[in-house]
Amino acid sequence: MALQLDLVRSELPGWPVHWHERVDSTMNVAAKLAAAGCPHMTAVGADEQTAGIGRHGHRWHSEPEAGLYISVVLRAGDASQPALMLALGLAVQQAIERTCGVAVDLRWPNDALCSGRKCAGVLAHLHDTAVIAGIGINVNHGDFPPELREEATSLRISSGRAVSRELLLIAVLEELDAVVRRLAEDGPAEILRSFARASSYVSGKRVVVMQDGETLRGVTAGLDAKGFLKLREDSGRETLILAGGVRPEGPR
Amino acid sequence: MTIEEIKELLRVFNESGVAELEVTRGDKSLRVRRSPAAQDILAPAGPAPVMTLPQMMMPVPAAPAPPPPAEAPVRSAPAPAADDKTLLVKSPIVGTFYEAPSPGSPPFVKAGDPVEPGQVLCIIESMKLMNEIEAEVAGTLVARLVENGRPVEYGEALFSIRPR
Repeated sequence: MALQLDLVRSELPGWPVHWHERVDSTMNVAAKLAAAGCPHMTAVGADEQTAGIGRHGHRWHSEPEAGLYISVVLRAGDASQPALMLALGLAVQQAIERTCGVAVDLRWPNDALCSGRKCAGVLAHLHDTAVIAGIGINVNHGDFPPELREEATSLRISSGRAVSRELLLIAVLEELDAVVRRLAEDGPAEILRSFARASSYVSGKRVVVMQDGETLRGVTAGLDAKGFLKLREDSGRETLILAGGVRPEGPR
Repeated sequence: MTIEEIKELLRVFNESGVAELEVTRGDKSLRVRRSPAAQDILAPAGPAPVMTLPQMMMPVPAAPAPPPPAEAPVRSAPAPAADDKTLLVKSPIVGTFYEAPSPGSPPFVKAGDPVEPGQVLCIIESMKLMNEIEAEVAGTLVARLVENGRPVEYGEALFSIRPR
């Protein structure tokens, strides 16, 4: 069923939400709105993406009407980065837990996991001074293509019941707004502390990371002052993880 | 700087036609210069002559083994592009350098390409925030100074461009 925008509008009166039946990618639509000067927190969503964007040209599997695919234009200022990327993960985690009651872990910097499988992903593009945050949440998928089955899950699979995309959208926008305000008012250190509490990946986790053409293996050792992940490699070397691609070591 | 990186630099340098290039990474720097003779050979059109390394390469130890006296000139800011007419494009953030929109696809730009203001040159990724770096001037891309997939520091030189 198409998303019932009236319900969202009645809960969030005045919020700039642009909803589409089908777009190539909500990131492209949001980029155009950002270039035209749309306000902070403008949200673009679609029931279906024909070319959902993942990291490094990967596609985001965007089954029609099963997921929540949105992009939000954030005008939070340069000083907020890169803690903003961690804040986005916190907002998604809060929104999912609040809406359907399943426990969500965060994999640095901002993948949301249910029982070790990815249920939501965040990707952001910088356009001048605006950050466009793309959020994809697997909501009511009953199954995934074989190549994603090991890695992905949905809120319906995890919670055992269908989840309202409208209530989830409302929660995501409210939590985003709240966490961006917290970042502005309390500063990045507070966001980093919250993230460290909310994620099992920040310290003491054995992981494998691809970086700089190498496969790095080791144990996570906290965040640096900016929010980058420290890795204590098995060789004893300490390396800062800059981008992403952190995976637990060995079989699940 | 590894030998692989130096080889890659030399390859880019060879393709670029630039006369002199200096790259600083941490406390190490490397300056590569074509000898006048080599430039003379390069001038005529036709198959590119192969140059031998000793002609072109002149490593510059940034931190000589005996510590320099206090009054020695400080090599602080990265040296400007050796060719006065080229501009350096620098990274605005700490992150990972990507030369292409996705693995396996062709790079946004390569040495010798014309570039226009606003044209995307590369992506720097920082915690899944993708920052497309654009050219600010019209010109010719002289060299890419960073290898694909490498971490870059704030302010690190990514490309040199000769404005037109």
